[in-house]
Amino acid sequence: MKDKVLIANRGEIALRIMEACEALNLDYVTVYTKEDAESLHVRLSKKKYRISDYRDINDILAVADEEKCTAIHPGYGFLSENYRFARRVVKRERPLIWIGPSWEAIRDLGNKLFMKKEAYKLGIPVIPGTLEPIYNEIEAELKAEELLEEASALGFQNISFLVKAVAGGGGMGIEEVKNLEEIRPVFRKIRAYAKRLFGEEGVIIEIKIPIFQHLEVQILGSKEGEYVHFGTRNCTIQSPYKQKRIELAPGFCKNFSYAFEVEEVENQIIEQSLKLAKHFQYDSVGTFEWLITPEGKFYLMEVNTRIQVENEISAKISFIKGKPVNLIKEQIRVAFGEKLGYTQRDIHFKGMSLEFRLIAEDTKKGFTPLSGIITHFSYKPHSWLTLRTHVPQDSPYTIPTQFDPNLALAIIYGENFEDLIEKSHLFLSELKIEGHTFKNEPLVTNIDFLKENLKKVYQFLPA
Amino acid sequence: MKINFQELTQLLQKFKANPYKTYPVVTPHTGYLVEFKVKEGDYVAGPTGEWLEKPGTPLFVLEREKNPKIIRSSHFGTVQNLRMDLLKKFVEAGETVLEIKHPLTQEEIISEILLSSLLVVRAPETARYILSQELVKKLEQKGMGRTKIKEGDELLIMTFMKRETPIYLKEPGEFILYQIYFKPFELVQAGSPLIGLCPIEDLPYLEKIIHRIKEEWSS
Repeated sequence: MKDKVLIANRGEIALRIMEACEALNLDYVTVYTKEDAESLHVRLSKKKYRISDYRDINDILAVADEEKCTAIHPGYGFLSENYRFARRVVKRERPLIWIGPSWEAIRDLGNKLFMKKEAYKLGIPVIPGTLEPIYNEIEAELKAEELLEEASALGFQNISFLVKAVAGGGGMGIEEVKNLEEIRPVFRKIRAYAKRLFGEEGVIIEIKIPIFQHLEVQILGSKEGEYVHFGTRNCTIQSPYKQKRIELAPGFCKNFSYAFEVEEVENQIIEQSLKLAKHFQYDSVGTFEWLITPEGKFYLMEVNTRIQVENEISAKISFIKGKPVNLIKEQIRVAFGEKLGYTQRDIHFKGMSLEFRLIAEDTKKGFTPLSGIITHFSYKPHSWLTLRTHVPQDSPYTIPTQFDPNLALAIIYGENFEDLIEKSHLFLSELKIEGHTFKNEPLVTNIDFLKENLKKVYQFLPA
Repeated sequence: MKINFQELTQLLQKFKANPYKTYPVVTPHTGYLVEFKVKEGDYVAGPTGEWLEKPGTPLFVLEREKNPKIIRSSHFGTVQNLRMDLLKKFVEAGETVLEIKHPLTQEEIISEILLSSLLVVRAPETARYILSQELVKKLEQKGMGRTKIKEGDELLIMTFMKRETPIYLKEPGEFILYQIYFKPFELVQAGSPLIGLCPIEDLPYLEKIIHRIKEEWSS
């Protein structure tokens, strides 16, 4: 029987998964909610079902059964890192293939504290902080005092703390604390927020690394125990809410000078990421996120057990036996139990790539997300440009308010740094996004912010 | 106060001409529509009892992942436009299965009319809302119609595009919380009413209006 994939996601990632399925000659079914009816992923999909919510597990499984699907691709966000869902998918009476890592790996690596403890045991550098969740404020204050001493001994100066919800992520449920007196009120606030949003009130405290670059390593593992990497990415340009806005591959750039041996640090973070992946028998695409300090210290931050938004910039600069790469296709292939068919030696890197996240947000007013209607959306096609969007270009589009106001991803390829930056500017200057909010004000996007921040790529930025 | 007695008379006439509201009943999620419990023209009841603890009339059964779920009426009235074609079929979420033609009650008429006489705080965005913790506490202590609010108080928390934004009262003066028009965490369309407030000095006038409605709308 031919395999059939249920795509349990929306927007541009649903479109990319559809494309990968078509390339692999797999049937697929999509789902959508009523707010998303205008989205291109709905228009372009032949077989689709309206469900109550992208997080409604029973609706997704009911559609999968109705359509006799054999696999589920969760995309990113929503249920992609929900290990209970992944477990249910593979363990039910009519089991399905989960297109992602094993549910055990999602559980263990998704639990940031457990992951940190395991990494620490393996000798992988992690950010100094509490290794157990804290539930009361007296303890929080005591732990912060201990951390302060520990970090001073390690040579940190002007130390501040990050109070984080254990269950948080993507910039949610995290706040900086500059002095010890603030620990208690901030702790209470984050704990209440975490309980409300995530239903889990554990909180951790970490030392804040004041200035750094955010690098990540793209890993691919198979069910046969094969492991390869697709190099590194640099995701240092973020919104104040720690959401990525510009990503580049590779993670370091020859045009910049560093106070450390770049090759050595890059090899180290790749090697350490692979070590952790093997420890957890990781069998899918995965991203290992690292903080790099100006002195060349590196700390593992977290592991994302899913396909990443920015996966395509790694694909653009990677070639397997001289051929282009599609990481979503690789992810689907390994989920169906196929062997990689190549080794690290067959993977070569060439050129550079950059991704812009085009978002309806007011970057001058605290990055407020905006909703409204897009009346005009156009860009000039180029051979070096890949645009990923669910926003139709032939009809007005109302931005749903239930989700992030992401409009499009623009992926640009350049031969070298100068070429990449030149093309990136050209793309932004040719891009037109027009519309209005419900208050009839012009719809603002982050294009100016992106232009401004092109000057800051590959730099060490204050957190 | 925004409403005068002449406008009130007009509004009441409008409601008398068509004293009904039609509520569509939609599937809350996907599943097989295995059975109808009502037929066209049947009278159905909404939840009853002091705390609305007695559920409404069963309308149909939706089965998903081997769990049959009885969908019940949340309003009283008569069944119309029943979709027999959906029987035994797999239905999507949000599909309209039938409608309930609901005769408006005195209380509902009062609520509708108060919309045009209270200071109504409306949803700035299509988003999910909850009352602020502060307001919930006050409401528990004082009760509806007795909870005082003043300029600058935190009224609501809006969850919009994954961010929480507090909503404060911007009107000067003191008010009484008189009506709540939304359910916590339910999606509210931009511009829809969230809460209704009455300036303290207007309370006697408001009570007169309510008295007048009750007189004219005895059923």
